[in-house]
Amino acid sequence: MSDFKRFPRGQVAIVGIGCTEFSRDSGVGVFTLATRAVKNAVADAGLQPDDVDGLCTFGVNDSIAPNILAQAFGIKSLSFYVDQFYGGSVSLSMVGQATLALASGVADCVVCYRALNGRSGARVNGSGAGGGGRLPWDMQFKVSAGYIAPSQEIAMAARAHMLKYGTTSEDFGRIAILSRTHALDNDRAMMRTPMTMDDYLASRWIVDPFRKFDCCLETDGAVAFVLVRADRAKDLPHRPVLVQGAAWGGGITVVNNGHSDITESPAKPIADRLYASAGLGPSDMEFAELYDCFTYNVLSQIEGYGFADPGGVPDKLRDGAFDRASGSLPLNTHGGLLSEGYIHGLNHVYEAVEQIRGEAGHRQVDRHDVALVTGQLGYVSGYSSAAVLVGA
Amino acid sequence: MSDVTARRTIPVPDRDSAPYWAALAAGQLVLQHCPDCGRWTWPARPICSGCHGDNLEWQASGGTGEVYSWVVTHQPYAPDLAALVPYPIVLVRLDEQEDLLIPGRLVSDVEIEQGLRVRAAPERVTDDIGLLNWEAEDPAGQA
Repeated sequence: MSDFKRFPRGQVAIVGIGCTEFSRDSGVGVFTLATRAVKNAVADAGLQPDDVDGLCTFGVNDSIAPNILAQAFGIKSLSFYVDQFYGGSVSLSMVGQATLALASGVADCVVCYRALNGRSGARVNGSGAGGGGRLPWDMQFKVSAGYIAPSQEIAMAARAHMLKYGTTSEDFGRIAILSRTHALDNDRAMMRTPMTMDDYLASRWIVDPFRKFDCCLETDGAVAFVLVRADRAKDLPHRPVLVQGAAWGGGITVVNNGHSDITESPAKPIADRLYASAGLGPSDMEFAELYDCFTYNVLSQIEGYGFADPGGVPDKLRDGAFDRASGSLPLNTHGGLLSEGYIHGLNHVYEAVEQIRGEAGHRQVDRHDVALVTGQLGYVSGYSSAAVLVGA
Repeated sequence: MSDVTARRTIPVPDRDSAPYWAALAAGQLVLQHCPDCGRWTWPARPICSGCHGDNLEWQASGGTGEVYSWVVTHQPYAPDLAALVPYPIVLVRLDEQEDLLIPGRLVSDVEIEQGLRVRAAPERVTDDIGLLNWEAEDPAGQA
């Protein structure tokens, strides 16, 4: 029996973050984006590229691999790498994997990154498999139905939730508006004009029940962050952001026999493991950055990670429970993938680190020591991932 | 494989899944049935995910079920879908087993609701490949 309490709790820290501009057209290749973000992150950590001996990334044939990046930085032999296929569902897996590698001692300094030209290059709006090439095996059973985009799969679950719990378009709209409101004073955010419920309801259908504003942005950009063991982190410039816990693994998809109710949050199967690894529970989380490629994902994760009973999210949204300024659990404090930009979830890590350091400026939340940060909740690939980050 | 991008909705069978697509080309929905534990499996797999048995047999499905959820796609996600938008995709709970949830285009012009009775309506593309569409059991659309 797996024992998630054996996760190397708090032994590894994020010590540097870096990003590029988030835009609709970067004007450069993903290789350049990756090197910029990695250089920024390493410099932020007070380290040199020569210190790096591990690189982790993920993508769907649309990014630059660790071996190529290592060559560019003159790293002659990586001690550790992860180059995962798939999208946002594995975005937080890297944090857990890097932590295991560092805690065991096989690596000393790991950089995780994601670079994509998600708007000007291999657009993420529908292809699901990005730049072509490798397709997940199960895609043949979906494409044949014209069922080829993540938006369709998540919308299918959203409809099932509407039918079971009476969830409404306005509930999804409140999530879109929450994200937009949080993006207004964020210099990195691509969308900084206010959104009303009328704006939301008037936006065009993408995949009914999803409108345009239920869907995240397509973005060019990159984010990177640096991890070292906690004892070393103490001597570096910033407040160490400890990896208190992490979990990655199972989700729910329609090609995953055994699941018969797709309204059950795919976050649920990993939530217990995540909290066991961290030694904390939902009530300990002070803010959360939840993977929001679509509005419904946020609702489903609020349920799955234990912040509301199934069907209980709409009331909490109306009560302002997730507002940055006054909510009990400020959520997607930067505007998220819906309104800041879509760096496949790594901009959630960037924001959580800024918040925990107390460097988030206008966006700073009052209680900022413990954060839940998550990846896509696993409807599409059957994977989910998440981490609990804690200020040292 | 550049055709895959141009014609995204045509599946690319492999040796494990080929019998499924060929059966649809011949007008029939087939599923794998495990003679050892009685479980049905979809999509095609080398082993039974219930008992891990190796004896899965292709058998004709009754081909009927009811709509559990649905979406209406307005965004043309692939060139060969542009002519179809907006098109409904239904997620059908097959009568054989509660966890068999299978997506497909609904080709009947009826009002969709949860519980709508549907049956498989395979569409032949080539001798080796058919697409799985669904049609309402009652063309008038009574659930």
